[in-house]
Amino acid sequence: MPFDTRRIRGPEESQSPLLFLSPDKVPEASSRQGVRGNGDVRPVFARCGLVSQAKGSAYLEAGNTKIICSVYGPREIERKDETDMKTGRLVCDFRLAPFSCMKRGAWIQGSEERDLSATLLESLQPGVCLHRYPRSQIEVNVIVLENDGSILAHAVTCASMALADGGIEMYDVVLGCALGQNGNTCLVDPSHSEECGSWHEGYGENRGCVTVALLPNLNQVSGLNADGEMREDTLTDAVRTCLDGCHKLYPVVQQALTRAVKRKAPPPEK
Amino acid sequence: MSPMKLCVPGERLCSTEDCIPGTGTDLRHGYIFATLAGYVLRKNEGEELPVISVVRETEAQLLPDVGAIVTCKVTSINPRFAKVHILYVGSTPLKDRFRGTIRREDVRATEKDKVETYKSFRPGDIVLAKVISLGDVQSNYLLTTAENELGVVVAHSEAGAQMVPISWCEMQCPRTHAKEFRKVARVQPEYLQA
Amino acid sequence: MAAGFKTAEPLEYHRSFLKENCRPDGRELGEFRPTTLNISSISTADGSAMVKIGNTTVICGIKAELTTPPSDAPNKGYIVPNVDLPPLCSSRFRAGPPGEQAQAASQFIADVIESSDLINMEELCIEKAKLCWVLYCDIMCLDYDGNLLDACIIVLLAALKNAQLPEVTVNKETDLAEVDIQKKRRLKISRHPVGSSFAVFDDSIIIVDPTAEEESLSTALMTVVTDEEDRLCAVHKPGGTSLSGEKLQHCINRAITRNKEISKLVDKVIGSMKATK
Repeated sequence: MPFDTRRIRGPEESQSPLLFLSPDKVPEASSRQGVRGNGDVRPVFARCGLVSQAKGSAYLEAGNTKIICSVYGPREIERKDETDMKTGRLVCDFRLAPFSCMKRGAWIQGSEERDLSATLLESLQPGVCLHRYPRSQIEVNVIVLENDGSILAHAVTCASMALADGGIEMYDVVLGCALGQNGNTCLVDPSHSEECGSWHEGYGENRGCVTVALLPNLNQVSGLNADGEMREDTLTDAVRTCLDGCHKLYPVVQQALTRAVKRKAPPPEK
Repeated sequence: MSPMKLCVPGERLCSTEDCIPGTGTDLRHGYIFATLAGYVLRKNEGEELPVISVVRETEAQLLPDVGAIVTCKVTSINPRFAKVHILYVGSTPLKDRFRGTIRREDVRATEKDKVETYKSFRPGDIVLAKVISLGDVQSNYLLTTAENELGVVVAHSEAGAQMVPISWCEMQCPRTHAKEFRKVARVQPEYLQA
Repeated sequence: MAAGFKTAEPLEYHRSFLKENCRPDGRELGEFRPTTLNISSISTADGSAMVKIGNTTVICGIKAELTTPPSDAPNKGYIVPNVDLPPLCSSRFRAGPPGEQAQAASQFIADVIESSDLINMEELCIEKAKLCWVLYCDIMCLDYDGNLLDACIIVLLAALKNAQLPEVTVNKETDLAEVDIQKKRRLKISRHPVGSSFAVFDDSIIIVDPTAEEESLSTALMTVVTDEEDRLCAVHKPGGTSLSGEKLQHCINRAITRNKEISKLVDKVIGSMKATK
């Protein structure tokens, strides 16, 4: 562990109180029964244009998952050797706030966050008209304020809303949807406990998580991420279910974006 | 009048048989799609078909393009070139600053070999210039002031007062009456109020 | 071309307003931006709050963990505040390790906690020299439009007031901690420090609650922290032009009235949360 002199340091070691729960008092993972169906996505609250300093921004809430995203640019690339004369560059930074998970996270970006940044970038890139921004870069910053599952999927949606809010030209919005498979049951838009639940039970067949990013108007998949082990037919079904989930989000995204446009300016004179 | 139609990126607006694609749109397989979230605007511009475009509160983020008139602030000078920050493209402010370079040979149109950058610009001057090239990977945007209407529009004297242009190559300080050399832009009436 | 004047000559632009005793956003020199507070919005944190001062938005999440008390103070716990300025909140910040401003803010918050006696550190001790709480107070800026320090102090205070810690006992037989998350208790917050930030223009004009632009154009910045009994907890003036004693007193007086306003706001929001539970 490198010595971090740029932050206030606490004790060398500390443990989450959740490790010391008396065994008979462990709270039970709440089941989905009655609250929402296995195929239902959580109701999504989305709003654009909250970060005053950014070119574009969006905030998205799905259940307890809370994600904020801001977009800066197009601006000059600082490093000359990375400048591309023909097309722009998209950069993504994905972070989990230290207080966003059950266990406190570190300030230093971990490998999980780096992986998520890369996947987010790959999912967004096909949607952005990068050739319109030669020799400049567009920066997408995502922070998860609270992680209650399906963060990658919601981050994709949130980031594409922020890009559109920032007036960055795009071929299409990008929507994300996740799914957790556990044996024969599949849960769309899993919460954090549902995501973890399947792993706690140990290794099993047909168990995993799938995240799909979709360009709804082009009907193209721009990102597909699958963990775990699934049969071929299950995976095909899972992707199809995710695509349905993405389409369910579209009206919410559309509404949030048009509302932001109206708030910023009245309709122009004809 | 019905409220204006709004769209989000990716929405199909119409066929190319109905409209000509304008700003904020993309052409694909004979159809016009929106690339911006904004208001859908159809305008007849004398052509057979109306132009369809998507507009939003600010014009779509402009990047300095070849031929564009830009307003910039001089940051540093040396005998070969002046470095500037581009603040405006046309009348649209840039949210992020882009750097540009005005080379010695691009300062004015005549007697290029006699140009002295120190007698043309000073750091802090506001300059109107035109983009001549996006530069290459190693350099910044290349700008020129080799036109009568281009050059210094706002400059402060050593005493700190805003100077008044007295000729195409000189400005005067209203406080000390000292004259300083600049490549002055011919004042255009619409900028007088600034 | 008014917008052009603003971009090309920002300092002159601001001066032209200050001359008329007002500011570009319509405020008077001594006027704060609207301040709003929201608590308990992050359920994964043991305590949380979000504060907006104008556009400036900061969020604080407190995570409590168990550790052994410091060897030089076996009957105390830890509070570890860290302020982060991620690239999300403004284009002036870069990703990576905290920059100078974030480091300075973290240290300032840590100093305020210590000098104001905000909380009795002995309260965080569970068993002497064996077990205590460490409260990680992670403050993130989500929108940076100046006056970070004021916002950080309010958000920290509100998050601490909102925090609830589970009951912990040390099992006599196994010598291990046992946590009961059904039973929770609040922290006793003994002091109410509130900060007020000022920016100095041209050595003599003082404005409160500067925006990001005002901060960057001013010649000096200052933050005064007082508690609810009008005592000074901290005065922070990192360099800049000098300030007369008279002006300083004026700032302190303004800070005292600001403390009343903010304390009222915090109490009201915390109170309304308790009432709904």
